[in-house]
Amino acid sequence: MHVFQLFINGHSPNSIEAVDTLLKICEEKLNGNYKLEIIDIQKDPDKAEEAGIIAIPTLIRMMPTPVNRIIGALNVRSRVLAGLGISSMHV
Amino acid sequence: MNLKKLETGNASFDHISHGGLPLGRTTLVAGSSGSAKTLFGAQFLAMGIELFDQAGVFVTFEEQIDDIRKNLKSFNWDIDTWEKEGKWIFVDAAPKEENVVAVGDFDLSAFRVRLERAVQRCKAQRVVIDSIGSIFTQFHEETHTIRRELIQVALTLSRLGATSIITAERLEEYGKITRFGVEEFLTDNVVILRNVLHNEKRRRTIEILKFRGSNHEKGENPFTINPEKAIVIIPLSAMNLKHISSNERITSGIPALDDMINGGFYKGSINLVSGAIGAGKTLLIANFVNGAWEKKERCLLLAFEESNEQLNRNAAGWGIDFNQLEEEGLLKVICVYPEISSLEDHFINIQEVVKDFKPDRIAIDSLSALSRASSDKGFREFIIAFTSYLKHHEITGLFTSNTPLLAGGTSDTEGNISPITDSIILLRYVEMNGEMQRSIAVLKMRGSRHDSSIRKFSITDEGAKIGKHFAGISGILTGNPMLIKLE
Repeated sequence: MHVFQLFINGHSPNSIEAVDTLLKICEEKLNGNYKLEIIDIQKDPDKAEEAGIIAIPTLIRMMPTPVNRIIGALNVRSRVLAGLGISSMHV
Repeated sequence: MNLKKLETGNASFDHISHGGLPLGRTTLVAGSSGSAKTLFGAQFLAMGIELFDQAGVFVTFEEQIDDIRKNLKSFNWDIDTWEKEGKWIFVDAAPKEENVVAVGDFDLSAFRVRLERAVQRCKAQRVVIDSIGSIFTQFHEETHTIRRELIQVALTLSRLGATSIITAERLEEYGKITRFGVEEFLTDNVVILRNVLHNEKRRRTIEILKFRGSNHEKGENPFTINPEKAIVIIPLSAMNLKHISSNERITSGIPALDDMINGGFYKGSINLVSGAIGAGKTLLIANFVNGAWEKKERCLLLAFEESNEQLNRNAAGWGIDFNQLEEEGLLKVICVYPEISSLEDHFINIQEVVKDFKPDRIAIDSLSALSRASSDKGFREFIIAFTSYLKHHEITGLFTSNTPLLAGGTSDTEGNISPITDSIILLRYVEMNGEMQRSIAVLKMRGSRHDSSIRKFSITDEGAKIGKHFAGISGILTGNPMLIKLE
């Protein structure tokens, strides 16, 4: 089970790109076995405060541990997969 | 045009900055590691809350909030309570334990939103961002992005209208302003903190490099970190020579010496006694202290060489009773090792004592011992600041300085202080006919006639005795006395 939090800022281009890429990866690689919470800092700034977010977009992989973070528009798919610990061979 | 300033509450900084930090603007505070940048920022916020009831936001990019709280506790700032009262808000932008990688373009809008929210929530009038260099280290591959984003942060700050400080690292004490070139977009107001190691002595200074459109003192001013008052600057450049010169004379405690200097020291003058070891300097000090009786003045004695007991015993040997003076409240003796703190700290401690005790006279035995606590430059600055302080308060000072040679000679200490003294008294050994004799002479006395002869000086059970002048001998000051035939 993968659990993600993705912090975005409204409809900024980087935010849209990050959401698209991540949804695609989840669909193709994780077979429905994931939880994704998308947090818009404009609507929910308290969550950004709590998590100490400074950059947008920020993706936090809560599970599996260890927790790690990827910042940026996630536009290099292979590096996102590596960062999330999802093998590109994963079916 | 002169832009408005916000009084910081650190009196010494407000003094050198002619009123504080530029109001509603951002000031870059740059310094090497350990130069007290964080403290400078925290003090700005703490003073704002304590003195002006102005709330503040502290953003940390580097240290963890708990560490900051802990480090600042020693200054008696009740940050915990201020946080509860909503007067102090931390924004945590410090690096997280988790591994972070960057994939693709990003911005710092989350940070800007959080900053803005914090400022609005407590209606902050003061903001500190500490330190901006570490965000470059957090995202070390994206310095271009960070630079672009920091310009946005600077714009946000100026829109919010709070008076803010952004701190930044420097790698060298005298070189580029900051490590990552932040000064390129935070150019208007720059303050530099330095912490220089020179001859095994640390010397902290602060320099206001520029306040665009506003006056301030130029050049470096030494500062110290005081356990109660945090950063205290000793404002060298802001001192002026507008002292009141008094015509009133006060006794040196030795009537014959008063005669030599035409009636005593001027009130508020700075006087130096120079001499080799055992030449009678402490004796002159003891008499000067005792001279406080005459007009019931108060005297502060700062002893850097001897203990209180030693001083009392020696004085008693010359018929001078320090204990009685102390009982009458006319004398306060402070004995410390010069090495226990820096000169700047000594200066601040002395100021505190002067404020409480309000002395009319100050005796220091000896300046040479005190000079060990600092570099040459630091000592010179101390002397200038200290004498200016004394003159400002119309306190008469008598200082001693050791000469390294038994006969003749001068010392570095004197080289530093003699130009700003009002009078100099020389105590010199004279080797004559297989005997060590002592001599006394007045080298200079500003604004007054004085005896120009070199006189015999002896130390007896009744104290100092000044005799006739050495007639027919020359070369005493150079240490090679010779008998000359009188025609």
